[in-house]
Amino acid sequence: MTDHKQHTEHSHEEHLREKHLMLDPLPRGKMNEMVMEAMTTPPTWKWWLVFSLLAAFVAWGLFYKWGVLIAKGQGEAGVMRPDYWGIFLVNTVFWIGISHAGTFISAILRVFKAEFRRPFTRAAELMTTFGLVQAGFSIFMHMGRVWLFYWLMPYPNQRLLWPNLHSPLTWDLLAITTYLLSSTMYLFLPLIPDVAMARDRSTGWRKNLYKILALGFRGTEGEWTHLRNAMSIFAFAIIPVMFSVHTIVSWDFAAATRPGWSSTIFGPYFIVGALHSGMGAAVVVLAVIRGTMKHMNYFVRGEHFDAIGKLMLIISMAWAYFFFNDYMVQWYGGDKWTQQLLHFHEAGPMGWMWFTMLITNIAIPWALLWNAKWRSNPWIVGFVGIAINVGMWFERYIIIPISVTINRMPFTWRMYTPGIEVPMGIGTVALFILLYMAASKLIPLIPVWEVQEGQMAHELKKFGRETVVSVSELE
Amino acid sequence: MTESESKVVDLLAVFSDLAPAADAVEQLHAMGVHDDSMNVISGIPVTEAMLGRPRQWTNVPRIAMGGAILGMGAGIFLAYISPFLYAYPIQVSTQSFIPGPPTVVVLFELTMLGMLLSTFLGVFLDSFFPNYRPMKYVPEISDGKIAILVECTHVEEKKITDVLKKLGAESVKPAEAQHL
Amino acid sequence: MIRPEEIKMSAEETGKWGMVINQDICTGCQACVAACAMENNITFVGEVDAGYGRSMHWIRIERFWEGEYPEVKMTPQQPMLCQQCGHAPCEPVCPAFATVHSQAEQLNLQVYNRCVGTRYCANNCPYQVRAFNWRDYQRPEPLPNQFNPDVTVRRMGVMEKCTFCIQRIHKAQDKAKSEGREVVDGEFTTACAQACPANAIVFGRVDNPESLVSQLAHKGHGVKHLEELGTLPNVTYFKGG
Repeated sequence: MTDHKQHTEHSHEEHLREKHLMLDPLPRGKMNEMVMEAMTTPPTWKWWLVFSLLAAFVAWGLFYKWGVLIAKGQGEAGVMRPDYWGIFLVNTVFWIGISHAGTFISAILRVFKAEFRRPFTRAAELMTTFGLVQAGFSIFMHMGRVWLFYWLMPYPNQRLLWPNLHSPLTWDLLAITTYLLSSTMYLFLPLIPDVAMARDRSTGWRKNLYKILALGFRGTEGEWTHLRNAMSIFAFAIIPVMFSVHTIVSWDFAAATRPGWSSTIFGPYFIVGALHSGMGAAVVVLAVIRGTMKHMNYFVRGEHFDAIGKLMLIISMAWAYFFFNDYMVQWYGGDKWTQQLLHFHEAGPMGWMWFTMLITNIAIPWALLWNAKWRSNPWIVGFVGIAINVGMWFERYIIIPISVTINRMPFTWRMYTPGIEVPMGIGTVALFILLYMAASKLIPLIPVWEVQEGQMAHELKKFGRETVVSVSELE
Repeated sequence: MTESESKVVDLLAVFSDLAPAADAVEQLHAMGVHDDSMNVISGIPVTEAMLGRPRQWTNVPRIAMGGAILGMGAGIFLAYISPFLYAYPIQVSTQSFIPGPPTVVVLFELTMLGMLLSTFLGVFLDSFFPNYRPMKYVPEISDGKIAILVECTHVEEKKITDVLKKLGAESVKPAEAQHL
Repeated sequence: MIRPEEIKMSAEETGKWGMVINQDICTGCQACVAACAMENNITFVGEVDAGYGRSMHWIRIERFWEGEYPEVKMTPQQPMLCQQCGHAPCEPVCPAFATVHSQAEQLNLQVYNRCVGTRYCANNCPYQVRAFNWRDYQRPEPLPNQFNPDVTVRRMGVMEKCTFCIQRIHKAQDKAKSEGREVVDGEFTTACAQACPANAIVFGRVDNPESLVSQLAHKGHGVKHLEELGTLPNVTYFKGG
């Protein structure tokens, strides 16, 4: 009897250790080695194949096609009256949305001390920075005279003009610049101890690279104190910046006089939408990292997919709430143009997109993420992540080119057919993956010191007969 | 005291656990080594309280606050002063010359930008980054070890080495500045 | 540096140009569209782009069918052009101040050289009357021989729209000033009004109660389009009278 009990007790403990990275500690040296090996293993021919394909896509889709667009004008794209805004802005909103995952995971979960965040904060922060790069490209592609982009910057100039602060686009510029700079700095700060680790363990060009990046970090008490103070300031301050960015993006639409756009709920609706697509993308990135990189199945486990899956489910519910709220009030209002627009969304030629959006954004996450077992499976959660991203891209497509088709001048109504936007959009996706692939070979993707810190704080504790996980607050 | 005796040496003692390192700090205090002559280098953030060390002073929050004020100043310039620098007054729609709510957006973004940029800069200033000069360090530290760097005279060297070794130091040796 | 006393609001200014369009006598002959294109050096878009919705006109004739086939009725022709809103949605949204309110003429100005092509103004125009230069279009012969020297040409990537023939307003004002008098009502008119064979378009000062345009505008059954949006348009339409 007691034997049996002891046995189950033992296996329960085993099970907990297997399940939680934080309870399954390895010596730091071993973890360093694993992360270094994952990073420095020479790429396989498959890696190079994907890399060169993506590079070709970037060269053709992004740069060559952009050259064509600049030389021949926006007429190369599918935009016209009344669809003055097309896929370029859909992509801008989409990429800014993706970029929200990094801050969410890294800042909000850090502030609330969610321990499961530890191994993948860096992977998420990289998404923020690389996603914002794509958003920046997309918005510049959209401009009719992109070579004059600097006219939007505030600086003393011979035109004796400063940017128009009445315009939501100027706020956008300020907010996206702030967000790009601060998320890049927030990516870099916790990276310093890890590149110092890499510096201590590499030779040749890598040694020089990490030496420069590590800035001479040793890990003295002072350095840690300054770093941790700065990181906690960042974690708190970057959250309102993140909210402001997508709220301002939503004001580009909400401040306009368009039917379907002038909605006061667009701010939070867009933020939740951004988190929805961002978490979806983060989980796909994690699944790919775990599947393709060495030793990553130690750092990224089912528990992480389970935790993110829960967040995805909650965010999906929140998105559904905001979507319905927006829809309900517009439907009830009875403005004839809005009525027409809602009808066009559902029953128009692009109605399939509206229904697909609802299925991928609501039905699929709700159907698959309620079950803890499914939620722990990278394939299932990864699939849901892809579905959500398709759905969120559709959502932006419905809000921008489909909605501007219906305006108060029925004489101008016309359907939008994308042109050069398609290869250029694929180019931004390729560049995103390309940057990510390069980064995975150049910087440690796992914040090892944060993992070790977490492992030190976790232990198994007995409450009566039950063994439970206990976390100490080290700070 | 001869010249060689008063020569100051730096000892670097590497511990793999927190408890012996904390004991070592305590013992060094008892031996009369002042906190200013000690420094702890670690591969993970170890708080000062854990080792019984005095709290580290950091200017980062103050620099951040200063940056926030500068950023807000830039925002005030952009929102309230820059419109007066146009060649002639520009009116858009019937909105007022200095629009009310949009200035809130401008002030918020620039305050946050100033604050975060200076927080980042504060880390550089306080930690003397970037610093590529030779420094006293051993690569084992980034394996999660805790190293105590003790400044002592030649006379004390032997004694301190023995004490630290006894307390469980993996190695105690004179530290040499080297290129990292 | 601008002194605060220089900043005046639109309501205090005088000089307000407006238009009255009588849809009952408009025949839809498109003479105004052609005259506008000639007067304002509007580029020639060509068949393909025009078919795709990129036609460049500062004025267009809208025409609708009412009812279900075969019981259809044609609505009156509706010339649609920039309404020169007093509270224009297009103006505040431009990040580069490329579209601003003119204090002297109470018009929406489009400053071509400042435009960077974000197209926010066009998106925010409830009347959909802004035209974008999607490409550098070629003018077929002999069109390059008839440029109006008073109007600038626009290049690719720039937004443009009806100006109420501001060059004609200024010419008339300059002439009146040199002769030491005020501009007389009916002394000049816009290209579209001049070309209209039915005199369906009347242009003039709406702040002068004596002028033909304000007398017509105050006749009672005129409507302003989408007035419910608070755009304060300066074009009055008549139909069914």
